Parts: sequence; structure tokens; C-alpha cells
Amino acid sequence: MGLIHRFKSMLYSTFANIRSAAGITITLTIIIAILGAVDKGSYIIVNTIVTGGMWALMAMGLALLFGVMNVANFAHGEFFMVGALAAYFIMTFSGQYVAAHPGTWVAGAAPFLGIFGATIAGSLFGAVCEVLVFRQLRKRSREQWVMNVFILTLGISVILANGHQLLFGTGYKGIVKYLDLPSISIFQTLISSDRIFVFLLGMVAIIVFWLFMKFSKTGRAIRAVSQDETGALMVGIDLNRIQILTLAISSALAAFSGASLLFMFPAYPTMGMAPLYNSWFVVIVVGMGNVGAAVIGGFIVALFQILTTVYFGEGWGFVVPSALIILILVVKPSGIFGSSVRGVLEQ
Amino acid sequence: MDSLLDVKHIDVGYGFLQVLWEVSFTIETGEYVCLIGPNGAGKSTTLKSIMGLLSPQKGDILFKGEPIAGLSGNKVCRKGISYISEGGNLFTGMTVRENLLMGAFTVGDKKQLKETLDFVFHLFPRLKEREKQLAGTMSGGERKMLTIGRGIMATPSLLLVDEPSLGLAPLITNDVFAALDVLNKRGITLLLVEQNAVKALKVTGRGYVLEKGKIVLHEKSQDLAKNDYVKKVFLGV
Repeated sequence: MGLIHRFKSMLYSTFANIRSAAGITITLTIIIAILGAVDKGSYIIVNTIVTGGMWALMAMGLALLFGVMNVANFAHGEFFMVGALAAYFIMTFSGQYVAAHPGTWVAGAAPFLGIFGATIAGSLFGAVCEVLVFRQLRKRSREQWVMNVFILTLGISVILANGHQLLFGTGYKGIVKYLDLPSISIFQTLISSDRIFVFLLGMVAIIVFWLFMKFSKTGRAIRAVSQDETGALMVGIDLNRIQILTLAISSALAAFSGASLLFMFPAYPTMGMAPLYNSWFVVIVVGMGNVGAAVIGGFIVALFQILTTVYFGEGWGFVVPSALIILILVVKPSGIFGSSVRGVLEQ
Repeated sequence: MDSLLDVKHIDVGYGFLQVLWEVSFTIETGEYVCLIGPNGAGKSTTLKSIMGLLSPQKGDILFKGEPIAGLSGNKVCRKGISYISEGGNLFTGMTVRENLLMGAFTVGDKKQLKETLDFVFHLFPRLKEREKQLAGTMSGGERKMLTIGRGIMATPSLLLVDEPSLGLAPLITNDVFAALDVLNKRGITLLLVEQNAVKALKVTGRGYVLEKGKIVLHEKSQDLAKNDYVKKVFLGV
């Protein structure tokens, strides 16, 4: 009896959701994806899922930072670059090591070492940014915080891009592939094993991050800060610690994506642009500061980019999403999920 | 023997605007003290300064003999002070239960946490009924109960309560005051800030009157209630 009742209420809430703006968008997206796949082939869905997963990761970091610390981060693309560079160097060194010592365990572990090493490098980098940049600003003044931080992050972005050029030159630093495995065919679409590997890693990262935020004490503390900073102080949460942690996590997510996509996008000084734009597309579409919605938004934006590339050509890949964003900002400035955001994980 | 709380000549302000002038008072362990005064007298500012949400420009605050003036809120909380703010500062996107668990953020002992949680549910059965509801979707009275519940989850020795009756129906106000009474009987020291002076003077043992940022009177609550000045200014008699 109880089970039936629960099922009924679940069904009811699902239908109630479909009537909301978010529900309509999700349903429309799925329909469009299916229509596109019927028309042009199933690779559209496969590509959407693989790239969408990475945009989701990037956007999650961006949304987290905005939700918890009110930081509109325009250096997110450079955090992505830090991850790509770190992974490149780890992969290169481990490649040399393997060449010198044939048959070591490093050969099989190199992709994992590269991606996890880059994630750790990214989180350390984020923590350093918080301590050296954002904390200093917070100590001086909290007036016009959003604007000041926006300019600061632009500065960080310029410094990092040019620092990259100064230290490592303008050349492309990439790898051919992570895994030495044959491609796999899914729905008559040939997908490289790297894409599958990266997608699975990305899904694991999203799930781990979600569980951490939802159930761990520290995750709950991060959500608490995003909902009421004074309340968080009053119950004994150390804001400094949460702020370092938030930047570390956000930057680690970006670095993870950068490292994961290294085989598609080699590292070069201005490589951060495209991922930065894409993740901003996502957070504007779904509403600022909502991590859960950012996951869905990642897939929506990826689908639109892929469809425009397929139907209108490569050059239109940024134009249609931009037009979509202008439309959303005019019609529903809070984003399609943004009507009642109460915190980074809650809608 | 030190007092539980000893506020010594504190000056507090926001930027150029000074709100408190040389405010001093003491609270002994187990007392129930009220701080009454008109709107804008600096009552909430006093509580915020004790809690560490504002730092005094001058003067000292001693808690169990230790200086706490200028410490940040999270450190003050760990010393054993909880602040029930006027607006609640609840985590509106979390459930009642999650809010209560957040209140026990500084409590490491699982058994103690469970006991306090049971006590809170015993004190406010309404919270038990609403355990899974989001804090932001509750009524004003329920929110006030949750705020108090979250405050005592940290098992504080001193509870600062800011305007518990504000915006509540008389019946619920009575419930809230009854709960505060229970807390005091269980040994929690209370500092109550109220605009509703009649009510505050009825339930507390001692009272301070704050006016324009200065302590102007200090007596037993029952004597204050008979004081001509207080009668004229606050009680409207």
C-alpha cells in the first residue's frame, strides 16, 4: 500500500515538474536529440553525451564558485588549461620513463596518473588563488564584491595565458591518446576508447562530487555557506576553510576536464577560451549558482552546439548558443532552473 | 570565581556610525537575563558583538574568564555560545533535520548528538513532524522553533536570544517562551533581547535597560517592572 502511494506521489511530482520551465526544456531537449538522431544518425546523441559530460563538469565548478563565494570566475578556462598542461607533462615524463624502463607498471597507469595528477595540481592551484588573491580582496573590502572579483579573475586569466606563453611557448602540447585500445561501435557509431574512458571518468567524478556535497559533513557545510553565510558562522563553520576548499574543488573540476580532454584539445596559451565560454553558456542557461542544474545544462548546450555544427556548419557553433543566451536573458534572466534557487545543490 | 559572561565597556559601530557606548554587564551561570530597550537602542548589536559577528572597537568581552572580543563567529560558537538571531539565519534549502545536524557541526560525539536531537524533538514536537520539510517552506513560528532548536544542538552554555516574539502569534509566542524556560531550568544560561518588555520582565530574573547605546538601568526584573521610568517608556502605563 505504502509503495503504491509513494509511486503515485512520485508520478505526480514528475508531471508537476514537466509543467515547469525546467521540465519543458528537458523534455524538448530529449525530443530534439531523438529527432536529430533519426535524421542524421545516432552519433549526435553519442557526441552530445561525451562532450556534454565535460561541459557539465566545468559548469559545476563555475556554479559552485558562484553559489558559495559569489565569484563570477572568468579564469575558469585557465584552470582548465592548468589541468591540460599538468596532464601533458605527466604523460610526457611517464612516456619517457616507460621508454627507458620497458614493462613497468607505469605504462598502464599513465592515463590515471596524468588525469589524477592534473586534478590535484588544479586543486592546489585553486587553493593558492584563494589565499593570494580572493582572501586579500575580502580583507580589504566587500563592497562591489562581484564586480571587483570579476575583474580580478580576468586578470588571473590574462596572467596565466601569458605566463603559459612565456614559460612554455605558443606551440601545441598534446598527446595522441590515453588508451591503446581499439575503438568501440555503439549504435553503428565508432567511438574511440579514449572518449568512453573519459566519459566514464567524468560520470564517476560527477557522482562522487554529488555524494560528497549531499551526504558528507563538509559537503553539507559548503551548502550551508552557500545558503546563509552568517548562519554558517553561527553554527561554528570556519569560513576560511570552506572558501579554500570551494576554490580547490572548483578548480580541480576544471583541471580534471582539461586533463581528460587533452587528447582532443592540446594545450596552448589561449586554449581556455572555448571551455570558458561553454561553461558560461551552461550556467547562464540554467541559472547561476545551481550545481545540479549545471549537469543537465551541460548536455543541453552540447546538444545545441553539435546540432548547429551539423546543420549550419562549423562556424555557427558559438553563434546559435549565444543567440539562445540572449533570448534566455531577455525572457527569463534567472535561467530556466533559476526561479527559486536556494543553494548550490537545491532548486 | 569568574562570571560566565563579562562585557566590559565595549564600543561598537558600523563604519563611522557608533552604536554602543561603554556598554558593560555581567551574567552568572544559570541566570536568565533580559536586555530591553526601544527600537534602535543597540540590543541586537550587543548580541552580535558577543557572538563575534561584529568586533568591538574598544573594551573587552570575557566568557568563562577568556577574552572573546574580536574572535570570529565560528570560534565563539566553539567556546559554547549560541545565537538565536532575529531573522533565524536558517539554511532554507535544507530540511529541518539537516538544519539541526548543521547546528551540531561542532559536536563530534555521535551519542551526544543523538541525545540533543531527541531533546529538541521532545521540546518542539512540531519539528519532529516536519523533519523532512525544507526550512524555507515553514511558517514563521516553526522557523523560530527550528532556529532555537538549531541553536541548542551545539549544546551551548550560553544562549543569546534575539526578539523571539517578533512577528509571532500570541499563542506561539507563549510556546516559544515556555521552551526557553525549560532550557533555563536545564541549566542553560540565557540572555534575552526583547522589545516586548512586559513579557520579558515577567519571565527573566534580572534586566538591563539599553537606551541610545548605553545601559541606563539595571535591576531585578520584578523591580524594573515597577520602575516609574520603565513603566512610562516601555510599558505605556
